[in-house]
Amino acid sequence: MRLHVRQRQDSVIPTATMADIALLLIIFFIVTFQVEVDKAQVELPSTGIRLEVPKESAYISVTENGEIRVSSGDEISVPVGGPDDVLSFAATVVAQDPQKPFVLKADERTRYQMVDQVIDALKQAKARTIYLLSEQESVQVSGGGG
Amino acid sequence: MQIRRKKSKVSDEIPTATMADVSFLLIIYFMVTSTFAATRGLDFALPEQEDNPPLIEKEESVLIEIQAAGNIVVDQQPMELGDILEYLEPKLEANPMKPVIIRPDPNAPYGRMVDVFDELRAGVEQGIEVKNISIPTQREIEAFWY
Repeated sequence: MRLHVRQRQDSVIPTATMADIALLLIIFFIVTFQVEVDKAQVELPSTGIRLEVPKESAYISVTENGEIRVSSGDEISVPVGGPDDVLSFAATVVAQDPQKPFVLKADERTRYQMVDQVIDALKQAKARTIYLLSEQESVQVSGGGG
Repeated sequence: MQIRRKKSKVSDEIPTATMADVSFLLIIYFMVTSTFAATRGLDFALPEQEDNPPLIEKEESVLIEIQAAGNIVVDQQPMELGDILEYLEPKLEANPMKPVIIRPDPNAPYGRMVDVFDELRAGVEQGIEVKNISIPTQREIEAFWY
């Protein structure tokens, strides 16, 4: 007669691979991590064409109420008094790096006059490129076939 | 007589259970601090020679006005956003460098200007490339327009 010897099972949950997965996730977050230099709450306009904004661009944000904040891209944005301050800020940034791109992060409901003054200040400061920050336009799927 | 104690068995495993805990704490930190910021937008190259902008005859260009309420008027004709490219197509076939000027009302919402600019830029996808788009500021209009 053959006797069955019961095998004893270990009651350990293998956790060694969990650390590997977690470390991979950490690497992903570290690589994609970007410090958001401007935290102004704005509702961005939607566009179909959207180009990647170069890293370390200078930021100018305009809220719906006309509050303007600026950042050279290295530090957190600070509020400024008005378009005249934007001109002096942009002139300083352009003097340091004439090719520095500017990102305009303006609320879609802002009166154009405010944006016009900011763009004018950038033109006077001899800025080369402005990126009008936007969100992805939702694609409308037309019903019915052809 | 001294009785020797039984030698305690040293585990030959590296304890990795806590590594996962530390890793997950780091993941939580990165997830909380990182924000999915919008980093794309419409690029807008500014003219280099600001002091001497090329004079554009009003009659030669297409003038897109954006009224305070957001209505679009192209060459004095009210128009829907989706009809602008259709209107421009024959004019651009005759002169591919035809200047197209966007002139928003100071009280118009900024988002409407972006809509029009995006529509003109998106013309390339339909084979209607608008090469010469300008958005003069109020100061430029007062200084250089007649």
